[in-house]
Amino acid sequence: MEFASFIVFFVIACTLGGVLLGISSLLGQKRKIVRKNDVYESGVNAVGSATRQYDVKFYLTAILFLLFDVEIVFLLPWAMTFNQASNQAFLLKGFIFFMVILLVGYIFVINSKALKWDE
Amino acid sequence: MLESAIEILLKTIVILALPLGALPLIIHVERRGAAFMQKRLGPNRVGPFGLLQPLADVAKFMFKEEVHPTHVKPFFYVAAPLVALVVAILPLACIPIAAPFELFGRTIFPEVFRTDMGIFYAFAVSALGSYGILLAGWASNNKYSMLGALRACAQMVSYELSLSTSVVAMIFLYGTNDIHQMIGAQTGYWFGFLPKWGVFIQPVAAMLFLVGIFAESNRLPFDLAEGESEIVAGYHLEYSSMKFALFFMAEYIHMIALSALFIILFFGGYALLPGMSFLAEKSPILLVALQALSLITKIALMIWFFVWVRWTLPRFRYDQLMTLGWERLLPLGIANLIITVLFVYYRN
Amino acid sequence: MGVDILLTILTVVFALMVVFSKKTVVSAFALLMTLLCLAMIYFQLGTVFLSAVQVLVNAGAIAILFVFVMMLIDLEQFPNNRERNKIKLVISIFTILIIMGVLALIINNNIDTLTVINLSDNSMKALFEKLYNTYYLPFEMATVLLLAAIVACVVITNHRKDDDSDNEGADKGVHP
Repeated sequence: MEFASFIVFFVIACTLGGVLLGISSLLGQKRKIVRKNDVYESGVNAVGSATRQYDVKFYLTAILFLLFDVEIVFLLPWAMTFNQASNQAFLLKGFIFFMVILLVGYIFVINSKALKWDE
Repeated sequence: MLESAIEILLKTIVILALPLGALPLIIHVERRGAAFMQKRLGPNRVGPFGLLQPLADVAKFMFKEEVHPTHVKPFFYVAAPLVALVVAILPLACIPIAAPFELFGRTIFPEVFRTDMGIFYAFAVSALGSYGILLAGWASNNKYSMLGALRACAQMVSYELSLSTSVVAMIFLYGTNDIHQMIGAQTGYWFGFLPKWGVFIQPVAAMLFLVGIFAESNRLPFDLAEGESEIVAGYHLEYSSMKFALFFMAEYIHMIALSALFIILFFGGYALLPGMSFLAEKSPILLVALQALSLITKIALMIWFFVWVRWTLPRFRYDQLMTLGWERLLPLGIANLIITVLFVYYRN
Repeated sequence: MGVDILLTILTVVFALMVVFSKKTVVSAFALLMTLLCLAMIYFQLGTVFLSAVQVLVNAGAIAILFVFVMMLIDLEQFPNNRERNKIKLVISIFTILIIMGVLALIINNNIDTLTVINLSDNSMKALFEKLYNTYYLPFEMATVLLLAAIVACVVITNHRKDDDSDNEGADKGVHP
């Protein structure tokens, strides 16, 4: 039942987007001007391709996000179980240990200046 | 069987029509609000108070020439706006607009599908939001677009961390993932006048979440992905006509969905606004209408807040943005979580 | 309803696209679709939690793949030389052996693969109980593993070369 509702919602959302895209390609003007289809470079000719090396920091940010995100995903069910749990002291110990390790990782990242963008 | 099919269809249509119908109005409010704050007039020619201007804009988007640049990756170039829009719409599926009510002998849950893990679902799906932008930037094959997409991705993921810590803190406090139970915990008053909203228990988490939704939806002061003074328009630079409009719609719907989540966690969701409860006692249908009205009012106020901030604060520099995310907000979020857990444990 | 069969077929098709596509971005996109289809299958089996985790973690993971592809110059034009073909051959043989081994195990042990596992969000809650009480050691070790990963990726990417000053500024995406 839930899944059926989700599928209906998903399909309708997709159709909506598709119809909107279709409308403008049906109704829009069509002109063939070659220069218009060039790369936009503020009015000058583009130099080189756009696939070039970018700063590795973008990648580092993304991968650090993934690692911290996995840690937080571990905490979400923990937060849900804690209130109904009988042995809260034990769960708390696990949480403290977990957070200490997380903080060690975090302090390492900050100390290594890996995420300093202004240097 | 037929009844449930009709129910699903009706719910889907209502939940899609509300934000999509409100879009032109929101865009109008944004433009008039901008004009108001800058002592300009704003759009006021088409219809009364310029209210028909958004319709004229829609017509313009439809009839505009579709520029399809030659250097793009064709499939992903067309797919990107579609992905952006669909992903922005999906989190709306489990946001309830009122409490469950009885109609024709059926209990109706006023969200598209009901699950215990509502908040979790909405949160996970809205995390997909960076894909539309990444795909658009990459498929456009333009340096400005590429930089815009990379910036947007790095920024969204950075602020998602502090946002997640505040969500964990709130789930911990409510002890549930179910949106209806969360709102149930926020109905009522302390001392007879102060609503039991989450924001009064967890102001730090509320602040983190608020900053997070500004960054997630790429709104000023976090709109580095389209900072026009540096990278012209960022990821949607090569898009025109309806394809551009889809990105535009996606941004606003993302804003609405995230505001709704914020309101559910911190401002009581569909819980009645103060002063409405004496009206609601008259009939159950009136109660449902008032609850929907409360939610819509709260979201409208949030949208106005977005506009207000946009025309008040200047844009951050990129290194400031990353420092704020990683070195200020994330430790604040972790500290807030630890303090909350210890406080709850030692109070019991 | 047949939605489950459709989803299964889609998952397999996208998974094949990951392997056989020549373009890296198409592969990454197909991988994303595979994982999203898997999430939908979890949803259909009745556990929203599992599918949400699937989306949350994998969404981030593949966004990173995208960024990685975007950062590299012309990854699509890798020379298709013999060295690479040899590696491909070795990997394919290993994969086929593993798949055959798994199939042999299933057939020999008469594992009924069609048993419907009773998944639901309530059974997930029971799982959390186990995770944080009985299996607390693996749970804590997971963070240690993540810590190692954090240290590794910072150390690998955070070379500070003093001599490459010609590519500074504009490519960083920050104000000069």
